[in-house]
Amino acid sequence: MAQPSGRVTYDFVTRTIARTLGNPGKGYFLLLGAAVTLLAIGIICLLYLLRYGLGLAGYSHPVYWAVFITCFVFWVGIAHSGTLISAILFLFRSGWRTAIYRTAEAMTVFAVMTAALFPLIHIGRQWYFYWTLPYPNERGLWPNFKSPLIWDEFAIGTYFTVSTVFLILGLVPDIAAVRDVASGWRKKLYQLTALGWRGTNEEWRHFTRGYLYLAALATPLVLSVHSVVSWDFAMAIVPGWHATIFAPYFVAGAIYSGCAMVISLLVPIRKLFHLEELITAHHFENLAKLCLLTGSIVGYAYLCEYFVAWFGGNAHERAAFWYRAFGPFWWATWTMIICNAFLPQLLWFKKIRTNITGLFVISIFVNVGMWFERFVIIVVSLAGEPFERWSNATYNPTWADWGIMAGSFGWFFMWFLLFVKNFPAVSITEVKEVLPPPTKGRPAEAHAR
Amino acid sequence: MTDAMNRRRFLKILGVTGGGAAALSGCGIGPEPTQRLLPYLVAPDDQIPGVATWYATTCRECAAGCGLRARVREGRAVKLEGNPDSPVNRGRLCARGQAGLQGLYNPDRITGPRLRGANGQLAETTWDKAIQLLAQKVADAKGKGIVFVTGHETGAFGDLVDEWMRAVGGRRIAFESFALEALREGNRLAFGTAAVPHYDFAAAKYIVSFGADFMETWLSPVEFQNAFTRAHAFAAGADSSMAKYVYVGPRLSLTGLSADEWIAAAPGTEGLLALAMAQVIVSRRLARSPADATRLGPSLAAHAPDKVAAQIGVDAKTIERLAREFAASGGGLAVAGGVAAQAANGAEIVAAVNILNYVAGAVGRTVQFGPDLTQDAAGSYRQLAALRGDMAGGKVAVLLVHGANPAHADAAFAQALGKVLFKVSFSSDPDETARAADLVLPDLHPLEQWNDARPRAGVYALQQPVMAPVFPGTMHAGDAILRAAGRTGTFKDYLQTAWRDVHRRHGGGKSFEEFWTAALAHGGVYTEIATRSVRLGPGAIAAMGEAAPPFAEGDATAVVFPHPALHDGRGANKPWLQELPDPVSKITWHGWAEVHPETAGKWGVVNGDVVLLKSEAGEVRAPVWITPTVRPRVVAVPTGQGHVAYGRYAAGRSFNAFDLLPGEPNRAGGRTFVVAVKVTKTAEHVFLATTEGNAREHGHGIVNVLPLAQAQRLRPGKHVFEAEETPAYARGAEEGWAEAQREMAALGGYAGTHPRWAMAIDLSRCTGCSACVTACYAENNLATVGEELVRRHREMSWIRIERYFTGGKDGESLHAVTTPMLCQQCGNAPCEPVCPVFAAYHTPDGLNGQIYNRCIGTRYCSNNCPYKVRYFNWFNYAEPGGEFEAWPEPLQLLLNPDVTVREKGVMEKCTFCVQRIRGKQNEARLADRRLDDAELQFLPACAQGCPSEAIVFGDLNDPRSRVRQLSDNPRGYHVLAGLNTRPAIAYLAKVTAPSGGAA
Repeated sequence: MAQPSGRVTYDFVTRTIARTLGNPGKGYFLLLGAAVTLLAIGIICLLYLLRYGLGLAGYSHPVYWAVFITCFVFWVGIAHSGTLISAILFLFRSGWRTAIYRTAEAMTVFAVMTAALFPLIHIGRQWYFYWTLPYPNERGLWPNFKSPLIWDEFAIGTYFTVSTVFLILGLVPDIAAVRDVASGWRKKLYQLTALGWRGTNEEWRHFTRGYLYLAALATPLVLSVHSVVSWDFAMAIVPGWHATIFAPYFVAGAIYSGCAMVISLLVPIRKLFHLEELITAHHFENLAKLCLLTGSIVGYAYLCEYFVAWFGGNAHERAAFWYRAFGPFWWATWTMIICNAFLPQLLWFKKIRTNITGLFVISIFVNVGMWFERFVIIVVSLAGEPFERWSNATYNPTWADWGIMAGSFGWFFMWFLLFVKNFPAVSITEVKEVLPPPTKGRPAEAHAR
Repeated sequence: MTDAMNRRRFLKILGVTGGGAAALSGCGIGPEPTQRLLPYLVAPDDQIPGVATWYATTCRECAAGCGLRARVREGRAVKLEGNPDSPVNRGRLCARGQAGLQGLYNPDRITGPRLRGANGQLAETTWDKAIQLLAQKVADAKGKGIVFVTGHETGAFGDLVDEWMRAVGGRRIAFESFALEALREGNRLAFGTAAVPHYDFAAAKYIVSFGADFMETWLSPVEFQNAFTRAHAFAAGADSSMAKYVYVGPRLSLTGLSADEWIAAAPGTEGLLALAMAQVIVSRRLARSPADATRLGPSLAAHAPDKVAAQIGVDAKTIERLAREFAASGGGLAVAGGVAAQAANGAEIVAAVNILNYVAGAVGRTVQFGPDLTQDAAGSYRQLAALRGDMAGGKVAVLLVHGANPAHADAAFAQALGKVLFKVSFSSDPDETARAADLVLPDLHPLEQWNDARPRAGVYALQQPVMAPVFPGTMHAGDAILRAAGRTGTFKDYLQTAWRDVHRRHGGGKSFEEFWTAALAHGGVYTEIATRSVRLGPGAIAAMGEAAPPFAEGDATAVVFPHPALHDGRGANKPWLQELPDPVSKITWHGWAEVHPETAGKWGVVNGDVVLLKSEAGEVRAPVWITPTVRPRVVAVPTGQGHVAYGRYAAGRSFNAFDLLPGEPNRAGGRTFVVAVKVTKTAEHVFLATTEGNAREHGHGIVNVLPLAQAQRLRPGKHVFEAEETPAYARGAEEGWAEAQREMAALGGYAGTHPRWAMAIDLSRCTGCSACVTACYAENNLATVGEELVRRHREMSWIRIERYFTGGKDGESLHAVTTPMLCQQCGNAPCEPVCPVFAAYHTPDGLNGQIYNRCIGTRYCSNNCPYKVRYFNWFNYAEPGGEFEAWPEPLQLLLNPDVTVREKGVMEKCTFCVQRIRGKQNEARLADRRLDDAELQFLPACAQGCPSEAIVFGDLNDPRSRVRQLSDNPRGYHVLAGLNTRPAIAYLAKVTAPSGGAA
C-alpha cells in the first residue's frame, strides 16, 4: 500500500511542506527569471502580431490553423490529468494520489489559463473576441450555438471554474496550517486565503462533504472537456479530423499527456524541495501505469485511424492518411508515433517504471510526442488538402509561432513556480490522512495543528 | 466670455479628441480609422453619386483594338469591361485589358514634364519651357537626323507624327517587340501580299496552330479565343460536332493547353510538318485544291512525311493522319506564328503553312484576305536595328520615343542611346527609355485621352477620355506635338478632322455631330469589308527550300516567348498582372525556364534551381520549372521581367529574356527568338512563387473529361456523373436532410419564393486564360500581396484557374484541363454552421454570404470548406505606407465603391458579385419589372469578362433560364458532390476530340 516510510510522521509532513515555502534560493529565481523572460518574448511577439496581423505567423492557404491551435489543444490536454487525479482517483479512494494531486491540480488550472489564451491570440480580430460570448446587446446578435467553437468556450469555461474552485477548496486547510507558521506578508496572504479556517469538527465535516460533491461534479468534466475540444475537429469534414473515435481518442491522449506532464513537473520539484520521502517511486510507478494505459489507447487510436482510412475506401480519406505518413510531414507523424505509441511500451518493465530518471526522459518524449500529435492532426490534415488537390500546400512556422509558443510555456511556468513557492505543493492534510495516526510513544505535536 | 464654448473652441476640442481616437487606432490595433469623406460642393450635372456612368472607348494595352466600356463612379474609372458593340471583342476582355486601370492609376507614373539638368538628373520643369525646348531642338536638328519611334499606332496619332516628321525632315519608325514580321513576310512569299488576313476561327472545323498563340499574344487574342470556342466547344443538339484542335510547337503555351492533340515538333521544323501535310493532301487528292496547287506537287515531293519525319521528331504515320483529318474536315484552318514564326526561318514556316491552307482549300474560306489586320503599322526589327546603327554612328541628333520601350527590349539600343544628343520620351511611366531621356513629356493614359485605332480594315475604333487626368501635370502627346509644331487647335480637333473623312464614307446621311456622337456612344464605327481572293505566288516554291531549320537541335535550344500577361514587359508594373499566375506554369512575380523532366534529370536540377543560360548574344540566370509541357532539350523562357527601371513592381525582378536574343534581324526582318544556348547549373536556388498545389487531381472528380464519341451519345436527362453525386447509401440521410431544410426554409426572411443564384461553367469552353481572375480583382477590390506572400500561399484570388494534367505517362499523350474554382455557394454549406458569430451565413437567395464587419477571423470556415475558396487577410493590405500595401496612392482610386475594402483579420470570399446582383434587383424594382434572364447571364465580373463565354450565371429556380438548362445538361456535374454540399455551380465536363490513332 501507499505508505510513506516510517520516518514520515504528521510533524515531518508539516515541516517538510512548510519548508518549501521558505525564502527562495538562487535556483528558484533563476527558473522564475527564465519563465518570465520566455513570457516577455511571447508578449513582444504577440504585440507585433496584434500590430501587423496574423501574417507574421507561418500560416499558408489552406493551413489556417497551425501552431496556436496546436498549443491550445496541447495545453488543454495537459490540463486533464489534474482533475483525473484529484477527482476520479479521489472517488475511487486511491491513496497514492494524495502526495501528487495538488501539483496536478495546480498544473490543471495554469494549463487551462494558458490554453485559453490561444483561441484569443489566433483569431484575426482579437479585439472583438467578446463577440463569441452570449451577452445581451442592442443589435440582438447572439453567437452561433451550432459552432463547436462556442461549445468549446463553454466547456473550457466550466472546466476552468470548477478546477479552480476545486483547487482553492482543497487548499483551505493547508493554508490554515502554513498560516500558523508563517510570518510577514505571507501571514497576511494566508490569513486572507485560509478563509478563517480553524479546523473545527464542523468545518472538517463541511469540507469533506463539499470536496466530495465537487469531485463528483468535476469527474464528468474530465471526459467532457476534451471530448468537446475534439469536436472542433470531428465536427468538421476535413479528412483526418472527421472521425467518430475522436472524443475517446482525445480524452485518452489528454490524460496521457497530463500524466506525462505531472511526471515532468514532479521530478524536479521533488528534487528541489527535497520531497523524496513524501513523493516516492511508488507514486511515479502508478503515474507510469496510467501513462502506459492511456498511451496504449492512443496507440490503438492511431492504428484505428489508418485502418478505417484504408477499410472505409474513401479516396479522400486514404489520400489524407497517405499524405500524413509519407508526405512532406512524415517526420512529424513518425515523431508522434514513436514518442507516443512505441516509447511508452518500455513502461511494461517495472525497472523502468520505478527509475525516476528514465521516467523523466520518457515523460519529456511523451510531451513532445503529444505536441506533435496535435500538430499532425491540425496542420498536416489541412496542408494535405485531400479534397481540392490544387490547394495542396506547405507550411513553415515562423518566429512569431515559436515566440508565442515559448511565451505560453513562460506564462505557465511563471504561475506554477509562483504557486509552489507560495502555497503547499503537496497536500498536508491529505498526506496525513494516509499516515498512521500518531499514537502513544510517537511524537504527536504536529497533529494538533 | 473667454471660457464660453464658442465655435472655434468647439472645433479645437473636437480636433483633439478626434486626433486621440485616430492615434489609438493609428497604432493598428482596433478598427481602421475613417479617412476623408468629401462630398461634392457643387455637384456636376452628369454625375449622380452612387450611380455609375459608362463610357465607350478603345483598349490600348495591345494592338488588337478591343472595344471598352469604362465604368465611372463619382468621376473616376473603377472597372473596364468589353464593349459589346465592338466586332473585335464582342463585350469580352482579357486580363491585360482589365489591368489597364492599373496603368491609369499607376503610382509610379511621371506626374509632369522633366528635363535633365546640369547635374545629370531629371528635374521638374514647366510645359511651356519643355515644349519650347522641344521645338528648338527639333528645329536645330533639321538635317542632322530626327527619328520618332512610336508603338503600334494605327490611327490619327500616328498620322500626326508622320506629318510632323515630314515637316521637320525626320522619319518615324514603329517598334513592337513582337511585331510578327515573319507573318507578313511569309504571306508575301506565298501570296505576294504582306497583308495579314482575317482568320475565321468560328467557321473552322479543324484547327492546327503552328505555334500561333492566338489566345494570348497573337494578333487579336480576345476575338480569336471567342471565335475559337464557338468552333471548338461541344454543344449537344442539332450539331454535336466540334472542331478538333491540334497544337504544334516545342512548348505547350496557354493556347496549347486547349489542344486535343499536341505535336511537340522540334523548334524550327513546323514548316516541314506543314509541307509534309500539304504533300499528303496534294498527292492523295484529299481536298478540292485550287487548280494551281497541283503544280506544287513536284516541289512538295521532297517533303513527303517519311522524308522529313525524323527531322521533325514526329512519326510519318502521325503526319499522314493529321493531313487526312485536316483535309477531311472540310473546314481546316492552319495558323502560324508565335514561337514558330520567330525562328530564323519564320517567314518560310509561315509560307509553308500558307501552302497547307491553300492546298486544303482554306484560303478564301477560313483565311480571308480583305478585312486585313493593320499589322504593317507594327514596324519591324530591321528598322530598329538600322536606327540603332544610325544612332551609334552619330547620325541621329534628336530621338523621340512614344509608346515603346526599346531600351528594355534591346540592350544594344540602350547603349546606342548614349550617342544621341537629345532624347525625348513621351512615356508616362518611368521606363528604361524614359530614364535615359533628356526630356520627358508624360503623355496622358489612353483612358484619359482622345485618339483612335484601326485594328483592321473596316473597324474605326474611337478612344475618348473617360475621366479627367489623374495627374493634371501630364499632357496629351498629340497636344504637345501640335504645340511644338506650331500648329493651332488641340488633338481632339485634329482627330475630328480626320474623322470627317470617315464620316464622308460611312456617315449614312447623318450630320457630322450626330455621326460623331453615335460613334462615341458605340466606341467607333464598324463596317464590313468584302474578302478578296489571292493566288499562290512564285515565292512559295522558293520558300519551300528554306523551310528546314538553319540549326540542328544542339545542347539546348532556348525558346523565348512573350509572357501572356506581361507581354514584352509592358505589364510588369501592374501588380494585378504580376500576381496573375501564368496560365501554364502558375508562377507569379518572376520569370522561369521551362525544362522537360527528362532533361532536368540529365542536368541534375530540381524546381527552383537557377541555371545560367548562355547564348551568343548574352546570358540570363533563370530558375528552373520542370514540366512535361515542353519538349526535351528545349528551354522555354518568358519575356516580361528583368526591368532595371519602370517602377516599384517591375524593377529588379528576375531576368530579361531579351538578353539572350541576337541583335541582328533575320531574313524576314524580324527578331529571332529561338536560339541555341549553353546551360550551366549554378549554386543559386529560388523558391518559386507558384500557386500550383498538385498538378494532378487523381480522379477526385474536380475535373471530368469525356471523349467526343461518348459525349455525342448523351441524351438529355441522363447524367453521366450521377453516380458521383449521391451514393446510394446516402440517399436516406439526404432525404431526411432535405425535409429539415424545407422546414428551415419556411422561417422568417427565408419564407416565400426566392431565386437560387447559380452558375454553369463549361470546361469545354474554358481555356485557362485567366481573364476572369483579373476581372475579379478589379470588381471586388482584391488585394495583391506580392511575391513573398504568394510563396506562402496567401494570394487573395477569389477565383483561381486550376490547371490539371492528365496522361503524359507511359506513352499516353499529355492533356491539360483548366477549371475556374470559386465559391460554390453551397446549398448545404460546411462553412456556415461552424462560424461562431454568424459572419458566414446563408442568404434567402442561396448565397453563402460573408459579413466582413462581423467576422472575427477564427478561420474555421476555411478549414471546413472542401473547395478552399475562402481567403484570409493576414495583414492590413489597405494600410497606407504598410509593408504589404496593395493600393499605394493613387492606386486606391480604382477601388470599387460598391465593395468593402477588408481589414486585417477578416475572411473574404466570392459572393457571385452580390453587389451587382443587388444593383440589378434594385434597378428592376425601381422600374417595377421582373429580372430578365438575358441581363443576368453574364452578370458577375468573371462571367462578364470571360472571352470564351464559359461562365453563365442565373436563377436556378427559373426553369427557362440558361443556367438551369446548362445545369441540367447531361455533361453537368458538381465538384465533390459526394459531400452533400449542394453546390450552386454546375461544371460541364470537357469534351475532347480523339487524339492519336483512335477514331
